[in-house]
Amino acid sequence: MSLLAQSIINGLITGSIYALVAAGYSLIYSTNNFMHFAHGISVVAAGYMVYWLFTLAGTPFYVTCIITVILSALFGLAMYRLIYLPLQRKGASNVILLIASIGILTFFQNVIQIAFGSGVKLIGYIEVAKGITFAGITMTLLQIVILVISFIIFIMLYQFMQRTKLGRNMRAVSNNKELASIVGINHIRVSDFSFLIGSGLAGVAGILVALEQNLSPLMGTNLMIKGFTGAVIGGINYVPGSIVGSFLLGLAENLGILVLPSGYKDAIAFSMLFLFLLFKPNGILGKKEGRFDK
Amino acid sequence: MLVIEDLYSGYGELKVLKGVNISVGKNEIVALIGPNGAGKSTVIKSIFNISDVSSGKVTFRDQDITGLRTHEIIKLGISYLNQGKINFSNLTVKENLMIGADQIFEPELVEEGLERVYNKFPDLRSKENELAYTLSGGQQQMLALGRSLMQRPVLLLMDEPSLGLSPKLQKELFETIAGLREEGISMLIVEQNAKKAIELADRTYLLEDGKVVLEGGKEILENEAIKNVYLGGRY
Repeated sequence: MSLLAQSIINGLITGSIYALVAAGYSLIYSTNNFMHFAHGISVVAAGYMVYWLFTLAGTPFYVTCIITVILSALFGLAMYRLIYLPLQRKGASNVILLIASIGILTFFQNVIQIAFGSGVKLIGYIEVAKGITFAGITMTLLQIVILVISFIIFIMLYQFMQRTKLGRNMRAVSNNKELASIVGINHIRVSDFSFLIGSGLAGVAGILVALEQNLSPLMGTNLMIKGFTGAVIGGINYVPGSIVGSFLLGLAENLGILVLPSGYKDAIAFSMLFLFLLFKPNGILGKKEGRFDK
Repeated sequence: MLVIEDLYSGYGELKVLKGVNISVGKNEIVALIGPNGAGKSTVIKSIFNISDVSSGKVTFRDQDITGLRTHEIIKLGISYLNQGKINFSNLTVKENLMIGADQIFEPELVEEGLERVYNKFPDLRSKENELAYTLSGGQQQMLALGRSLMQRPVLLLMDEPSLGLSPKLQKELFETIAGLREEGISMLIVEQNAKKAIELADRTYLLEDGKVVLEGGKEILENEAIKNVYLGGRY
């Protein structure tokens, strides 16, 4: 029983990291309509930023976090303004933008490898601690912090999307791009902010990943695929859906290894991705077009 | 008020309009009719700068607006009611109404506009918190028209507003349109129902293959070519 409860908690912790990646990814996807696979490098770059600023340079931890999130957001904006937007202005299709995003991902993975080496890096902010055990479930303080922070961020993100004019514009653009331009919404401004916010979320994910796991230059691809899978499960066009989907993925992975060898974690994720793309491409909560759309 | 001169426009390589001249006067209702593919919608899209204008000029209140950005055109007082997906289906009725206006107006003006639209279309008030896709076809059309009115246009461009509506709803819609003129709104309407359009409009342009081939007032209902081709005379 406690093993099951422990797996559920582990699933939620894994899921919250996936969800942070997926939320940013699906925010960018829904307002821009192309696959920004370089989103994974935003996460990894943030992790290495923490390593560099905090572990190597000795910057206070909280200052490191703030700088990292801001730089991640600007890094995302720069990718949009310097690479995607110029390509779009030249009439590039979404497939070309997808290829460009893979190019960006590969390029920066190698930049990180050159700068920091391919070995695994440790942040070492929190001593490896004995977990807190409660009702048969063991969690480290860091894991509790990860859960709490990600939940606070998701609530803030939801409020932002529902209650602010910019959030409403983002939902409108993701719902109907042509109409959005007809009513006078400036789609470049909306894209600017979706990249800023989405990549800022990737920054938060990067910090948490850096604290929870070891850093390696190539981890972005895996995180991106997991975030993407979570988004597909929940509904890639709908940010709350992608968050729910990511938690489900985290749970499925951790519950799955109760019956399967732990090496099958990734296989579980890929099987789910495959099944959803095949049978439910809009995801669990993804919204279809309304019936009465004329 | 609106003058289109020698307009050539299309989409990328596809040239649709081949030298179109059209004008809309103050407080005037002008209809654009013609067969499918004649370029009716492209005229409206060219005014709104969402097609590729290769040459020609669009002036509005003596200002050259060719190539202006869409939100700048809206600020000048032109609003566009498109066809196809006419609402944000996953946004609420109220959000749909506000979204056009809050790009250009202060919140107080948006609230005031909301009240006016609700008074004009009471159905929308009772459904303000429902998602747009739950509305019926007629209510969808009201919502889209309401959103255009929220932008307080002096010129309203409408692309087949009666499309998909029942005859009863079409009649109501045309009454509403006639009422809008009383409020001082000029209109350029692309319409599939040629007879209705000619009856409603002060002037009508017949567009064929990207060119204006006939222009006139209600008397063109008697024109043989119009009768034969567009009013079902030959059947």
